[in-house]
Amino acid sequence: MKVKVKLYSLFRLNLKTSEVNYEFENTATIEDLIKRLDDDFSGYFSAKLLNSSEIKTGSIILVNGENIFHIDKLKTKLNDQDIVTLFPPSAGG
Amino acid sequence: MGKIQEYSVLRVDLTNQTVKRETIAGEKVEKYLGGRGLASKILYDEIDPKVDPLSPENKLIYATGLLTGTAASTGGRYMVVTKGPLTGTIASSNSGGFFGAEMRFSGNDMIIFEGKSDKPVYLSIKGDKAELKDASHVWGKKVNETTDMLIEEFGDDNAKVSCIGPAGENQVLFASIMNEKNRAAGRTGVGAVMGSKNLKAVVVKSDENKVNYDKESAMEVVRKQTKMLKEDGVTGEGLPALGTKVLDNIINSSGLYPTKNFQFGTFDKTEEVSGEALVEKGYLQSNKGCYGCPIRCGRDVKLPNGRAGEGPEYETGWAFGADCGVDDINAITEANFLCNELGIDTISAGTTIACAMELYEKGYIDKEELQNGPELNFGSSESIVYYTKQLAYREGFGDKLAMGSYRLADSKGHPELSMSVKKQELPAYDPRGVQGHGLNYVTSNRGGCHVRGYMISPEIIGAPEKLDPQELKGKPEWVKIFQDLTAVIDSVGMCLFTSFALGLDDYREIVNAGTDFNYNSDELLQVGERIYNLERKFNLEAGISPKEDTLPKRFTEDPLPDGPQKGAISKFEEILPKYYEERGWTPEGQISQNKLNELGL
Repeated sequence: MKVKVKLYSLFRLNLKTSEVNYEFENTATIEDLIKRLDDDFSGYFSAKLLNSSEIKTGSIILVNGENIFHIDKLKTKLNDQDIVTLFPPSAGG
Repeated sequence: MGKIQEYSVLRVDLTNQTVKRETIAGEKVEKYLGGRGLASKILYDEIDPKVDPLSPENKLIYATGLLTGTAASTGGRYMVVTKGPLTGTIASSNSGGFFGAEMRFSGNDMIIFEGKSDKPVYLSIKGDKAELKDASHVWGKKVNETTDMLIEEFGDDNAKVSCIGPAGENQVLFASIMNEKNRAAGRTGVGAVMGSKNLKAVVVKSDENKVNYDKESAMEVVRKQTKMLKEDGVTGEGLPALGTKVLDNIINSSGLYPTKNFQFGTFDKTEEVSGEALVEKGYLQSNKGCYGCPIRCGRDVKLPNGRAGEGPEYETGWAFGADCGVDDINAITEANFLCNELGIDTISAGTTIACAMELYEKGYIDKEELQNGPELNFGSSESIVYYTKQLAYREGFGDKLAMGSYRLADSKGHPELSMSVKKQELPAYDPRGVQGHGLNYVTSNRGGCHVRGYMISPEIIGAPEKLDPQELKGKPEWVKIFQDLTAVIDSVGMCLFTSFALGLDDYREIVNAGTDFNYNSDELLQVGERIYNLERKFNLEAGISPKEDTLPKRFTEDPLPDGPQKGAISKFEEILPKYYEERGWTPEGQISQNKLNELGL
């Protein structure tokens, strides 16, 4: 199963990376994906996105444009070819 | 003498060229705070809501917020309140920078301009001395030139200037008032009203700080709130790093990034024009803050051709970018710089050009009408720069653009192609993708606007909690509370961005600490409700029918054709009755007698 991760805001600027591609052997959830990212980027993702295993206020995690808050939060299952978009707490107006 | 209670007012009669001082009693301040609230009350009491906005009978009020000029975090804002020429509604436009604080330091909490001068003038405030001076030599000058010339004439580099550019002089219906060159009281056409009065600028320098508040008790709260703002992910890290333009990718990825005059919900060139791109291309020079601000979301930008200035902000970048189908960040930024120099609201300018592009591509505008100007095709970076200049000077086709998208589209027999509410252009969120935010557009007292109740915060960003953007249940209640709380923040003189980290109780705490008032949270929120209802009352008496609480039919009839929200339409009509009920208004949208009595209106 292949998943594309698009990085924006501080992720993109601080990690100098705009996209990461992962392959999972079995099923995987957003939680699993964040673990993989943490392994590759020294724990940066859970530090920015999570607050004691909850989604931090203002963090935005989208699967194919839909916020995982309204799917199954961190337990949201990923499917082959999904595009996951990650923003650390950000806002404007 | 007590801490902040009364308001010191400078009343400037432009017809008779007189300046006098007055005081607004504490009871009125307690009921309306300052800024937007108190100025709306004065406007309502002093003008007939039916007056022609560009006639001498309209008044223009500069009002600092209750805590402007104190140590309150971001407490440097001022509001310009008048009857708006674009919408015919009450208009109020808010700006940051340092002008508002300087005005308050000088002991002038509010300035009321009335009548009309027979020649161009500006108001000079030097310490205790306030006088009208001839402005003939700066009439016709751009904002940056005017600012430099008036500071030199004033003889003090620390003086602050708030002025109009050529667009305000030419009464472009969405002309802005600019302070310190780059900060804008942008929306609702307040600059056109200033121009109609032959008033070019206000220049102010205090000789001592006259804000009388309890510094010690305020500082205790300020320290706590500054820490909250610094530690919050949004206000402490996201906004300082990327400014408001962090939103391009968020809103585009969420499928509500209006593209080509709101025909689509995603823009495939967003990567080229986003906040991240500005940083990666090396155009961003530094970030900067307004008075008393720990967030510092402003940005100084320099283009490869050497042009430098502030911006673009999210809304501006979108209006000239995705909404016009333009992916050239140099042209977008140039159009932004022009708006600042000529004194134009960037949202209405970009979206009016976008509307003209749709009218042109559909054959409703003839090529001859453009009088040799570039063709108004989506994607034309040449057009956004060319027509921004033209509309400020009302040259060629620019004369029609200067009236805004509604009047333009209406003159072509297609008012439905103007993406506006109450004739003011909508900002950068497609209401089909956010049901609560759409309801806020419809019920905003100054026409199409995102900062009267920023429902994007809960519906997309997730602050203070995440709401499903397509859910209808509960949205009327949320919109009402957001609108009332926003009225409080605007009247206190703090920046709306603090609300990503602070809540009602925090605003109560700082208001009570800095003043002699002693609100509980419900009472403070009720002040916001009173302000909102007073604005509505003004609009109803001005002849704005509740039938205008509506969206262009594109949003209710044409489903979003693309992106993750494909198929969505706005269902505001289903929740508007509940909103009226929540507000204590009649099913027809009139304010009930009970509600008027309850709020002391």
